[in-house]
Amino acid sequence: MVRVLVVLYISINIFSITQAVAERSGKLETKAILITTHPNEGPVKGDFEYGEYLAAECVTCHSATGKDKGIPPITGWDAEGFISVMNAYKIKDLENPAMQLIAARLDEEQMASLALYFATLPEAE
Amino acid sequence: MTKINRRQFSALLGTTAAAGALAMPNVTGAASHGAKPKVVVIGGGAGGATAARYIAKDSKGEIDVILIEPSKRYYTCFFSNLYLGDFREYASIGHGYDGLANNHGVNVVHDWAASVDGANKKVILASGASISYDKLVISPGIDMKYDSVPGYSVEAQSKMPHGWKSGTQVQAIKHRVANMPEGGTFVMVPPPNPFRCPPGPYERVSMIANYLKKNNPTAKIIILDTKPKFSKQGLFEDGWQRHYDGMIEWISSEVHGGIKNVNPDTMEIETDLDTFKADAASVVPAQKAGAIAMNAGVTDGDWAPIMPATMASKADPNIYVLGDASVAKSMPKSGFSANSQAKVAANAIRGELTGSKVFEARFANTCWSLISDNDGVKVGASYKAGAEKIDVVDKFISKNGEDEATRKATYEESEGWYSGITADMFS
Repeated sequence: MVRVLVVLYISINIFSITQAVAERSGKLETKAILITTHPNEGPVKGDFEYGEYLAAECVTCHSATGKDKGIPPITGWDAEGFISVMNAYKIKDLENPAMQLIAARLDEEQMASLALYFATLPEAE
Repeated sequence: MTKINRRQFSALLGTTAAAGALAMPNVTGAASHGAKPKVVVIGGGAGGATAARYIAKDSKGEIDVILIEPSKRYYTCFFSNLYLGDFREYASIGHGYDGLANNHGVNVVHDWAASVDGANKKVILASGASISYDKLVISPGIDMKYDSVPGYSVEAQSKMPHGWKSGTQVQAIKHRVANMPEGGTFVMVPPPNPFRCPPGPYERVSMIANYLKKNNPTAKIIILDTKPKFSKQGLFEDGWQRHYDGMIEWISSEVHGGIKNVNPDTMEIETDLDTFKADAASVVPAQKAGAIAMNAGVTDGDWAPIMPATMASKADPNIYVLGDASVAKSMPKSGFSANSQAKVAANAIRGELTGSKVFEARFANTCWSLISDNDGVKVGASYKAGAEKIDVVDKFISKNGEDEATRKATYEESEGWYSGITADMFS
């Protein structure tokens, strides 16, 4: 099993985050998004194996092969965009009660681990 | 923006983080004696197929996984209502096990698990063969308590199909509804709690109403409930009023006083309130854990108690019980729940057998229900392992009066989920 520690720096560039939501969430309504950043604006640690475990919850709905059918694909996203979108759900700036529920219980380490894992999967065609 | 791909990721290998991991378990079982540890999974549904897939996939050949499932093709109970509503062909909810065998090396054995010898860690098959295990996963779904409805029986189910296991029973319901006389009556008798798929009977009624509205618009549906309230009641009743006004009548158990008798020959259902004559009916009895769970000695009453952190049986630490058969309070008995529980169990089993990291259990469930064309509702929750049971962390439910776009998106989301979960089980 691959085990790795990767340090992810969360971008606090408003433009890039908003763009990430627009690019990645496809059918989701996009709007100006308030960003939550790491309290210390420092690095957030992500763990691939932990991300793979946590991702099992995601792929019940989001196909692991990235096929989009009623639910947006999340494979191949860049890590920053992934974290930005999850934070947007966490603070309920993006609507979908199921995603808000999922995001609400993810701490920064868990989000970073998920972001790391999904970034390594092939992007949806 | 920076993008991390597999190549870049590989360059970062070498450091290990113990993020979220629990203590490294001691390695037990056959692995410690030089042979590969062996996991046997009984039941190839949402719990069993998922467990087999994740154990095989994530152990990368370190564990032999044997899946025992009598059917060569598995028809999902979830989405069978959409077949009744003419939203799906029956073939579209059927799935084979080739993916598990070809992609992950699961040894799929199409046989019936007749008994479990827990003391000697063996499963005995109907064919007479026996298979030894280090860890056993039991995910048999439900069996019917036929005698919970006076007059109901295995024989009666041909005329009043329960359709609560997918397969010919569901097809029988559709056939009987299609052959109702003009203006005829369909009677639905939902089961008492706890049962598989709490919103299921009411989605079934919605889907049959959708069919009748187009093909037999003067027909009626009567629900003789065995309960005084039901899952998503407000959402269903609101939807029925919008789409099927006057067609569906729900009668609480507190009003009709209970089902006193069903007669499949006369198609009469007797209550204190009245005797109802049906042209077609679906009677769903009370339920219990599948027979093999009873046989394995892991049940207490009708269901199998489990350790919330691992889904291991409280009666036998080498047996894990998933899905409908387990006492997974507060999770509902659903395919989504079983799939979620399977991943927790798979992680725990791999840890026990190979020493892999065991992460903290986390569970989730969402149940979508279709009420009419592009009109879906949903309810969901996240869960964690409490000391004695699985506890709710947070929950949500669709709101009454959601706009058309939201209800359509909810339906489309359910289609996406179906595609996702079946891939998660079988690919």
